Amino acid sequence: MKSRFSLDLARPSRRHWLGYLLLAPAVILIGLIIVYPLFVSIDLSFQNVNIARLDQPRRPFTIANYERLFTSPDFWNAVWVTLKLVVIVSLFCFLIGLGTALLVNNKFKGRSLARLLVALPWAIPEVIAVVIFAWMFDSSFGLMNWVFITIGLIDTTVNWFSSPNAAFFVVCVTMIWKGYPFVSIMMLAGLQSIPEDFYNAARVDGANSWQRLINITIPSLMPVLGVTLVLVMLWVFRDFSIIYVLTGGGPLKATQSLSIMTYEQAFSFFRMGYASAIGIVTLIVCVVASRLMIGRAPDNI
Amino acid sequence: MRSRPVDRFFLYAAVVIVCAFLVFPIYWLLITAISPPDQLRALPPRFWPETPRWDVFGQIMRERPILLWLTNSTLAAVGSVVLSMTVSVLAGYSLSRFKVRGGQSLGLFILTAKMLPATLLVIPLFGIFRTVDLIGSLWSIILAHATLIIPFTTWMMKGYFDTIPRELEQAAMVDGCSPFGALVRVILPVSAPGLAATALYGFVLSWSDYAYARTFLTNAQTNWTANLGITTMKGEYISNWGDISAASILVALPILLIYLFLERYLVGGLTAGAEK
Repeated sequence: MKSRFSLDLARPSRRHWLGYLLLAPAVILIGLIIVYPLFVSIDLSFQNVNIARLDQPRRPFTIANYERLFTSPDFWNAVWVTLKLVVIVSLFCFLIGLGTALLVNNKFKGRSLARLLVALPWAIPEVIAVVIFAWMFDSSFGLMNWVFITIGLIDTTVNWFSSPNAAFFVVCVTMIWKGYPFVSIMMLAGLQSIPEDFYNAARVDGANSWQRLINITIPSLMPVLGVTLVLVMLWVFRDFSIIYVLTGGGPLKATQSLSIMTYEQAFSFFRMGYASAIGIVTLIVCVVASRLMIGRAPDNI
Repeated sequence: MRSRPVDRFFLYAAVVIVCAFLVFPIYWLLITAISPPDQLRALPPRFWPETPRWDVFGQIMRERPILLWLTNSTLAAVGSVVLSMTVSVLAGYSLSRFKVRGGQSLGLFILTAKMLPATLLVIPLFGIFRTVDLIGSLWSIILAHATLIIPFTTWMMKGYFDTIPRELEQAAMVDGCSPFGALVRVILPVSAPGLAATALYGFVLSWSDYAYARTFLTNAQTNWTANLGITTMKGEYISNWGDISAASILVALPILLIYLFLERYLVGGLTAGAEK
């Protein structure tokens, strides 16, 4: 019996009006809440606007926002802070994430519980992670001052949120704690797709566990490693909540990343045009950097 | 291959130490919540309170509108997930099964949309929502969270549909089902685990948002989400860490429970979402 509908999904050319109809809701919604706002912000970035109301007449075209941006020491400070964060946080997320994944990938009793625990911070919302670390690094009664004094790392209590380096350190610790579980989860998934035969063959050849790690595990993980690295770096690059709630970008702009600077310019100083320009630059850096890192992609992300 | 008992011992010791170290901050949050306030200032710190105050959770719910915040967060998450899933399921199915002109560029655009910084999009959205008078309404964050969720869920759904053999709906259509009927009656039931994983992931994304809630809802106290409420407690002049911790636990609990009991789905969604 022939179908009432002349649609053969097995054929290579599967053009059909239904294909368009099914896409329509997504196209309309994405157009309204992503594409249109994106155009508005590009438009805003070329105007000198200090208030975001779209029913106001358009201001004259200007590239002053971008000129001001690239000559502003605050902008370059934010670039530097963001770069430092991306490098330090991604590096430690990877070390801890890969280490924990390798650890719980061993066969032992209770390893499903261990897997659950090792990635538990993934399930803690960023704002709550901030509450935890803000309290642990509290200057008067926080646990960390006591711990660091006890083990002899510091002599007297440190006021963690009023010294630029100390505040930057706390931001890093919080982001690493929140970020490494994603790496663990991805690496565990990658480890499980490595066939056991590879290891058996290597054992027969007399490879010790270090050689197996370097010659089998790491190369097999490479594809997933690359994607995960880009995703973690993108997360650190754009993260807002952790820094904003923890330090607000201070003290002395020591933790003011590009995201924090964008938000502050927009909603503390109401320089919507200037803030949009920073945001657009951030987006361009994200897209270009991740393309460079994954090569041909973005279809791998 | 059996390992030596010594190796076993070191493995267990390493697992216990690593887990204890990494989970400790969550344990400390719990201890802070149930310790009487004067014991929070004890030196050396107490790692288990002498008299745990378990009633702190009931007390904090009476003192603060935590239940209201949790309700708002739930409404925002459910709303944005339902909205995102509806358009993503249809679009994902179309991208998986049909050749549509421009379909590929749409797919690429959606992937790039994952890279949009929330701090960039929040500015035009603020302007748009102010013009249409949505600032302060939960609809503002339902729509804003959809911008976070749709780029992920569309590709996740396309990925799941790709794993389902075409013969399935082919057979249904031979039996007289319309193509849309085949999607609803045959494909969706088969992809239930994928739908669950994708929806859960969207729920977590919405629940974790702070930037949009902070921008659109700060002046609408009755619509505060859980995360926004917590940060206002933290910002108060005298921080009562015991109370903040107790409230934080209540806010983190839904996601923690999802993670502990539905981890398999969530992780499946996470890894699938990252690959595509």
